[in-house]
Amino acid sequence: MTTIPRSLAEALIAHAREELPNEACGLVHELPGGGLEPHRVTNVARSPYRYEMDGLEQMRLEEAREARGERLFAIYHSHVATEGRPSPTDVRMAFFPPGAVDSEPMYPEALYVLVSLAQEPPPVRAFRIRRGGEVAEEPVEVAEGR
Amino acid sequence: MAVKVYVASVIQKAVGDQKQLEAEGSTIAELIDDLESRYPGFRAHVSDESGALHRFINVYLNDEDVRYLKGAETALSEGDSVSFLPALAGGR
Repeated sequence: MTTIPRSLAEALIAHAREELPNEACGLVHELPGGGLEPHRVTNVARSPYRYEMDGLEQMRLEEAREARGERLFAIYHSHVATEGRPSPTDVRMAFFPPGAVDSEPMYPEALYVLVSLAQEPPPVRAFRIRRGGEVAEEPVEVAEGR
Repeated sequence: MAVKVYVASVIQKAVGDQKQLEAEGSTIAELIDDLESRYPGFRAHVSDESGALHRFINVYLNDEDVRYLKGAETALSEGDSVSFLPALAGGR
């Protein structure tokens, strides 16, 4: 079970809506004190069916995490009209080279968070993608407050 | 031509767990050759089976995407900085 504050769930949903008709994407950092901070990243694919994070923004965020002692808590994106669970492409792309599912995923510690706009209110769901391409849902509890 | 190389966390294991290192080359392709000679297996982290830069690897020369320069043939100068970063991507 993962607990996230309502303010974070709302921030991810707001980002997903603002990016329509395209998929939204970003990262959530865990601060040394345990707080969670969302960072929007430009979807350079600009597509309702795909996302690809802007690499320079992604690199700057990695540098910021290292400089501030933060951890990559989650990699999030939206599905605009389909269920909020990782698609076969999402699973393939969790590995590098893409589809190398027999190796460790690129970010084994990070949750893959999906916001689906196919339902109202949009569910925010979290998954772990493991070696072998196995997907395990991690129940998300949304806590009141910030 | 000595250039600074920055490697994103997910491929640091391919270069002996270093984040930053120096390498030699007058182009990105030569730089990859130099890294491969010192860290066998590095090429597989950045190139596809044909040897071209992988579609989902981002390579930056001083913060410019080499896709918009000359790709693997982009020329390097002394003191340049080159970054390698696998893309985060997905889709339906």
